Amino acid sequence: MLAQTLMLRLAEEGGELGDHVVEEAANPILPTVPELFWGAIAFATLFALVKFVLLPPVQKTMQDRANLVRSDLDAADAARSQAGSAASDVSDQLADVRAEATQIIDAARAEAEADRARIIGAAEDEIAAARSEAEAEIAGAREAAMAGVGPSVAGLAADAASRVMNRTVDVSAAQPVVDRFLNSSN
Amino acid sequence: MFAALEFPSIENLVEWPAFFGDGTFYAFNKIALISMLAVIIPTALFLLAKKEMVPRGVQNIVEGTVEFVEKQVVLSAIGPEGLKYTPLILTIFLFVFFGNIFEVIPTFQMPANARMANPLILAVVAWVSFVTIGIKSQGFAGFMKSSLFPPGVPKALYILVTPIEFLSTFLLRPFGLAVRLFANMLAGHILLVTFGVLCITLATASPLAAILPFSYAMLVGLTGFEVMVSLIQAFVFSLLTAVYIQLSLHAH
Repeated sequence: MLAQTLMLRLAEEGGELGDHVVEEAANPILPTVPELFWGAIAFATLFALVKFVLLPPVQKTMQDRANLVRSDLDAADAARSQAGSAASDVSDQLADVRAEATQIIDAARAEAEADRARIIGAAEDEIAAARSEAEAEIAGAREAAMAGVGPSVAGLAADAASRVMNRTVDVSAAQPVVDRFLNSSN
Repeated sequence: MFAALEFPSIENLVEWPAFFGDGTFYAFNKIALISMLAVIIPTALFLLAKKEMVPRGVQNIVEGTVEFVEKQVVLSAIGPEGLKYTPLILTIFLFVFFGNIFEVIPTFQMPANARMANPLILAVVAWVSFVTIGIKSQGFAGFMKSSLFPPGVPKALYILVTPIEFLSTFLLRPFGLAVRLFANMLAGHILLVTFGVLCITLATASPLAAILPFSYAMLVGLTGFEVMVSLIQAFVFSLLTAVYIQLSLHAH
């Protein structure tokens, strides 16, 4: 009753003061109905768009890319494995070729060695024959020379002995001595 | 000297007049506009993003966002079985981030989440989601049992523990989600306004103009900080929602 009387009196005294008493200021922290209304509409719209329109194509693209990357990686692995196998084949072939080359070189070396021995042997035989022939020629020539020189040396020796001994020395008697001397000097 | 510094009232910082429908339930003000832009901008980005095998430009941003939410939020909090909830978690992340980032966009300079409406809606969505998922995966009795009667507790203590668990799970979780987001964004908004007003006041008060550069540097630094806060709050809200969903999926 007292409050009613007070409010009526305040209302009579001035509208502004009366308004302040009757109206209550809104709390700035509490949510307002319009903001809740628009916020709910906005969130529901965004959720529907994301779920049904926006996200699926993006996820599909990302999934396709992941699949592509995975398949590329698998292909790269397969190619790497294939390249490894090819490299291994090449390595095996190289080893075979090297072994074959070694065999060829060894055979050639053995053949060359045999040829060398044969040629050297033939050359040595030829040299030996030539040497024998030369020695025979030398021996013949020496004998011929000795045969030609013997009488002269005997004459000279007999003449020299005659002069030393003041008597005549017969050449025929000196001939055997000279021959023996010449033969012993060979 | 400080007479020029008149800090605006809290109503002037967070309440905005309606563009249309004033006094009705559909009154459309700046907060409603930002909420709508938080739908339009991500939609436009997703639609502009090409679907090519080698991503470029906008496609990088969109796919980076989706991958971030999938890997850092959904998979890390729930695991592979949570991927079906990616649309919900991604929507929460986008709605919170784009609602926040308008705090540093000139002419707007107001985060939608510095008003309680959007955080409350998001908290209700999170609450409904984890309760529904919990009932769906464990059954009503199973979900209630795992939520209100934690194993390993002596039976006599359930008289004490069960009311606490009820409050914690069904009231404090959504309340915490909403208040954390709202309070962080409101605090950031008030900080930016404070330094903005300080800069204007110092520019007109000549003897104190010497400290204007410091105040201005703080304003610039805090603007960058608020960009980070916008992202972190979006991440935290979506991550906690994912964690609550994970807790509802299985009995603990």
